[in-house]
Amino acid sequence: MEGKYSSDPEWASIKPIPLNDGVESGAEPLATIAYAAEYLEATSYLRAVMAANEMSERALKLTEDIISMNPAHYTVWIYRAKILFALQKDLKEELEWLNGVSLKYLKNYQIWHHRQVLMSRKDFFPSPPPKEPDFLMEMFAQDCKNYHVWTYRHWYVRHFKLWDAPRETQDVQALLASDVRNNSAWNHRFMLRFGPRDDEPDAGMPNSSGGASEKGRLAVVDEDVVDAELKFAQSKIVRAPENRSPWSYARGVLRAAGRPLSEWKEFASKFVIESQGNVEVKSSHAVEWLADVFAEENGQEAVRMLTLLKEKYDPIRSNYWDYRIRSITAQEVSASA
Amino acid sequence: MTTVTFNRERHIKYFLRCLKTFLPSFYTSNDSNRMLLAFFTVAGLDLLGVLQSKTTPEERQGYIEWIYHCQVPTGGFRAFTGTDFGADNRTPENEAWDPANVPSTFFALVVLIILGDDLSRVKRTECLQWLPLMQRDNGSFGEVLGPEGNIEGGGDLRFCCFAAGTRYILRGKGETDVDGTRDINVENLAAFVQACQAYDGGMGEAPFCEAHCTAAVDSLYLAAGHTYCAMGALSFLSRMSKNQRPPPVLLPGAKEFESLIRWLVSRQTAELGEAEESDEEDSPEADEIQKPPTADEEFELNAGLAGLPSIAPPTEDSLRYAGFNGRCNKYADTCYSFWNMATLAMMDRLPLIDAARNRQYLLEKTQHIIGGFGKGVGEPPDLLHSYFGMVALAFQGEEGLDGVDPALCISHRAVRHLESLPWWGERA
Repeated sequence: MEGKYSSDPEWASIKPIPLNDGVESGAEPLATIAYAAEYLEATSYLRAVMAANEMSERALKLTEDIISMNPAHYTVWIYRAKILFALQKDLKEELEWLNGVSLKYLKNYQIWHHRQVLMSRKDFFPSPPPKEPDFLMEMFAQDCKNYHVWTYRHWYVRHFKLWDAPRETQDVQALLASDVRNNSAWNHRFMLRFGPRDDEPDAGMPNSSGGASEKGRLAVVDEDVVDAELKFAQSKIVRAPENRSPWSYARGVLRAAGRPLSEWKEFASKFVIESQGNVEVKSSHAVEWLADVFAEENGQEAVRMLTLLKEKYDPIRSNYWDYRIRSITAQEVSASA
Repeated sequence: MTTVTFNRERHIKYFLRCLKTFLPSFYTSNDSNRMLLAFFTVAGLDLLGVLQSKTTPEERQGYIEWIYHCQVPTGGFRAFTGTDFGADNRTPENEAWDPANVPSTFFALVVLIILGDDLSRVKRTECLQWLPLMQRDNGSFGEVLGPEGNIEGGGDLRFCCFAAGTRYILRGKGETDVDGTRDINVENLAAFVQACQAYDGGMGEAPFCEAHCTAAVDSLYLAAGHTYCAMGALSFLSRMSKNQRPPPVLLPGAKEFESLIRWLVSRQTAELGEAEESDEEDSPEADEIQKPPTADEEFELNAGLAGLPSIAPPTEDSLRYAGFNGRCNKYADTCYSFWNMATLAMMDRLPLIDAARNRQYLLEKTQHIIGGFGKGVGEPPDLLHSYFGMVALAFQGEEGLDGVDPALCISHRAVRHLESLPWWGERA
């Protein structure tokens, strides 16, 4: 059968290498796929140019063809990058092409890694390309929690040292304004405010290699930033009290500042109103917060809060709340012994 | 309420179909993950206890030959035969285009173990020499070795986990050197993994990424829960160094440990993303209360607080099905039952979940009528969700399934075979 490549004079010099699934040597192949003839042909030409280590325009076009059928092919991307560099192609054009591919295959890991590889080239991208944040927002318009895009954006901020770039905060604000439950946006905000800067190794919390008491804590705390972030979290909690994201964010902020959870005791109490033996709850996360504060001061009260979660407001986690109750009771027993 | 059942016979049919017939052509985008698909197929039948009865010894030998056919001459395994341009054509200049792949090497070894192979044809020394070449200075691992010996692929937790797992399988529980082969830098790896813990207690793909429980969002491109991978890597390391104190995140009572437990149990959710709940959004419906902005923030806060309604406790009916999500404020998905439960199992805290509601979710909402499990409610089955759905049920003792080792992700029967291998016996 005449194929796209076998009938093309441009490819006449190449002897394709067919797929060898080991059948002739006695193998019973696993996970066999009903490949389309086009894919089988294209990949047999890919193996041939790879074996020849060919750095050419036609090989570059071939990688594009393969990517359109199997964007997760891990060596074809590395091969493509090598050809681009060898032929000294304009990486800005490559980025334009990649934008289209990214919008077509939303959940792909290799695409975003390739973007990092391109963006790391200081000769083409000595500073962040002006349209980069716009493109990332276009991606978020498709899926505002796309993990690959967020992971890339995290890398991009560190690579170009953009922690304090106004655009980063603006975009986070806009995404939170359209969905206050977007935990990815909350996480990005935390990284912008409290993430390790370029003189520190990358880590998931400030001072991640510190001991138990220092881990997650900033060496130098700007109390104004901390206060502003806590206030920001409160303003978002009031609008959606059952949204866990800002409550977690506030825990992280207090930990980074080395300040206690009890600082929010009064705020949390406003969501747990007690009158004549009745408890009116406006947020289950506030009950959890109070339980954590009480665990440090008053075991009995902590158990009362945890029981409220276990029996009434969060029964899915009743085994966990029980586990917490047991650990508090055990502490009290050992303290009184 | 009708009693739900695990439809073992249908699942056996599903996995046998995947084993013995061609996967449909839409799996082409997972061609480069064939080793992973092979793992799900073989491990699924093993978990169902029918691998021996439903395949012949000749077939199993043929599968073993295929895995060895995927072994790269310089050690380690490729993820699919598609990169193989022939041993005769292979040169130091082009071998980077047909490299050994870190996750696939782990899965190839595990499939061999399940099939009862003794790993005698595994290039063990070469593979153990290749592993440290895959490690970066910051402790993380890459996916493949590219041109000029560059470590290619993101420096994320998946590669850390499968590198640590490969080392575990090939070195055994002992820590002594194999034929003087240089080991990976264990301290750097452990430090990198622990640095990935985020402010909310979970683990991100890489440091400072949002805590996450899987990367296999769309199809099966490379299955991994980052939190699972982090704890898997640390578990493999600590299984091999029994005399050392485990890292804080594996130490009950430590802040790191307890905050991760909190994060993991918080993933269980009754938000299933069913059609009637929302149209197409990929996140639970917002209960946001819209307020016009005012100049006085303090006033707005207090006014907002006073006007908030109290919440009604959830009803028993609304909580009947509770699976797991992979990130805060996302819907439940079959594979997250596995990622979260396996991690809790590694931390010896599995009883903290609500097993009954998880079972209801898996069996009534994602178990498919033709066998296998789908990703979410009403979705067609695929290999990844089918295997992980079953493993999640196996963790909670579902009848008809063997028990599973949470880190190796294979049946206890297969683990016993691994532990009978020569280099395991020597140090036992």
